[in-house]
Amino acid sequence: MKRISLIALVLVSVIFFKANAQEPTTDEKLTEVNDKVNGLLERLATDETDLQKLTKIKVSGYMQAQYQYFENPSIQPNNYFSLRRARVKFTYEMADGVKFVLTPEFVPGNLSVKDAYVVLNDRWSKAFSIWAGKFNRPNYEVEYSSSSRELAERSMVIRTLYPGERAIGAKLEYNPVNIPLHVQFALLNGADGITINNASGVNQNTTENKDFDNYKDIMVRATYNLQLGNFGGLDFGAHGYFGSFKSNALKTLSSDYTTIEDVKFGDAVKRNWVGGEFQLFADLLGGLSVKGEYIAGKNASIGYSPVAAVGTTAATPGVANFQNNFAGYYLYFIKNLGKKNQFAFRYDYYDPNTDITGKDVTIAKYTSADATTLKNRVSGKSDLATSTFGFALHHYFDDNLRISLNYEIVQNEKVGSAGLLTEDYTKADGTKVVKGLDYSNVINQNLLTLRIQAKF
Amino acid sequence: MKKFAVVAVLLVFVGFAFTPAPDRITVKGSDTMVILAQKWAEVYMQSNPSAAIQVTGGGSGTGISALINGATDIANSSRKMKNTEREKLKARYNTLGIEVACAKDGITVYLHPSNKVKELTVKQLGDIFRGEITNWKQVGGADQNIKLYGRENSSGTYVFFQENVVKGDYAPSCQTLPGTAAVVNAVKKDPNAIGYGGAAYAEGIEICKVKKDDNSPGYVASAETIKSNQYPITRYLFMYLRNKPTGAMKTYIDWILSPEGQKLVVETGYFPVK
Repeated sequence: MKRISLIALVLVSVIFFKANAQEPTTDEKLTEVNDKVNGLLERLATDETDLQKLTKIKVSGYMQAQYQYFENPSIQPNNYFSLRRARVKFTYEMADGVKFVLTPEFVPGNLSVKDAYVVLNDRWSKAFSIWAGKFNRPNYEVEYSSSSRELAERSMVIRTLYPGERAIGAKLEYNPVNIPLHVQFALLNGADGITINNASGVNQNTTENKDFDNYKDIMVRATYNLQLGNFGGLDFGAHGYFGSFKSNALKTLSSDYTTIEDVKFGDAVKRNWVGGEFQLFADLLGGLSVKGEYIAGKNASIGYSPVAAVGTTAATPGVANFQNNFAGYYLYFIKNLGKKNQFAFRYDYYDPNTDITGKDVTIAKYTSADATTLKNRVSGKSDLATSTFGFALHHYFDDNLRISLNYEIVQNEKVGSAGLLTEDYTKADGTKVVKGLDYSNVINQNLLTLRIQAKF
Repeated sequence: MKKFAVVAVLLVFVGFAFTPAPDRITVKGSDTMVILAQKWAEVYMQSNPSAAIQVTGGGSGTGISALINGATDIANSSRKMKNTEREKLKARYNTLGIEVACAKDGITVYLHPSNKVKELTVKQLGDIFRGEITNWKQVGGADQNIKLYGRENSSGTYVFFQENVVKGDYAPSCQTLPGTAAVVNAVKKDPNAIGYGGAAYAEGIEICKVKKDDNSPGYVASAETIKSNQYPITRYLFMYLRNKPTGAMKTYIDWILSPEGQKLVVETGYFPVK
């Protein structure tokens, strides 16, 4: 009996001690949990530091796919789908006041760089910033993002003066903290997006990554934001462009085709213009805005010098530089229709040559004394003014998705009489229509665009 | 001529189309203001059973973004709307927004109750949060490293504190937390911690007195010190709207600014606008 009791006691003790040995005390458990939490916190702190580095990189972008129908009989095919824009914008803020921006554009068959610039903000007054690289030229419609714009494309005067919108150069911005004044002063190469032909008519300005001449163009813009209490606000300002091209020709023809002046190779052919702008935002009937800009001045295109005959190659007559006085403006009316819809109307007008009216076209011309060395210049289609009525309806599915229906009624300035300025065109079936487009009438150039935009 | 007539008719048509006032009001934004905004909504809906008001937080930046993209009717913000945000509102809705100052707040600096330091100047706070003062003994406390807690950069409190106190970059060691309540909790548990946030959340921690400079007395945020401009880190709390309020929205905003609405401001731990 004693032996059995002893064995039982030993067994119970073993079980008790074993149980005790397996189950840690509450303090031990707490220490273990504490250690685990501390370990996790340490890892979390490391992860957070890594994550904070990533928050310095911002990625945004948008894509616009569209269907267009052209009423102009000379455009064939007259309807198609296309990808208008597909851009991704990378912004890296490496420190407070230092920012890098890179925006590649991907459209079928073409990869290009839209923006590539660095911005340095002054850390003391926080009012000045310096930009360097390729960025938007300082102008309201240029700087207004294509993803926000209310009409499918910018107005004609802006598209003509600032092709491709961006330019390579450096810019100083002044945005004082407590005054709603914005001043921009830019020094640009000035050749971006502009065709500069050689004597054979081939564009030499294809790379656009450096300047074509030693002249730097200056662009200045100043705007002021005036708050009108609860009514809304009025932003107004002005901008100016003061630039030159290097002359490749020995003559420069005036805007009215009447006078020609001698110039030397390398002389500056001036192109200067100024503009005034306003944007009125009114908290009326759910919110509306009226925006406008007027620009006038002198633009220029570069000619080339004559090339003498060599052996069997015939001489090529030169083309004079041309300086055209121009004027253009646009006026927007934009109105919200509830939270999800918007209506926009724009009237835009561009006269590339204010010295030649429609009735003067082809009558006003320059006849060179010796057409074997300098080509005659005749006023024509490029001197006619164009006015466009644009209408757009937008539906915002959400912040990311917008569908837009645009219709543009395009009207050309008419020439004096029938047959004075005509063009041939080819129909879809290949039939050529001789003198089918007669600029004594309004040529139907109306355009319908249905566009869907995804933005992130 | 026909075309001009069509244009004119269209313009007249859209000219008179307007945005109807919403039946259900959504409010989004500042975490600092969430308690207050919820209280307003709760009390208002009790006395106006037909009203439907939905309140969520997320931070001032989040609220203003939601206002810009049409996802909320009211954006609560503990800071002023930035110019870049106003430009986005102009681009999307053609308005500059309506700013309604609805309460005042004193940004409170939280310390652990065991901390020997009881008051700091605005400059010292800036030095601490920029990481230039790293040990409590540099400001008269124990020889312990300072642990910083703050808000995420979408928070209006983060921005206001940065612009008015830090005046530079926050120290990389400053741990960001999602909401003022989380900052208070973190400070409660850590004897070497310092954090900042709205006055309404300051429970279970020591409130640090703040001095304008070395020669000024230290103050804690109170109705009196804020009204008399003695407390140096005060700010307005705002509600932003896309358009001038009409209908149910106007009634609600008017009520918030009425003595009844402003009484709730005081009850929640903030300070009335007038």
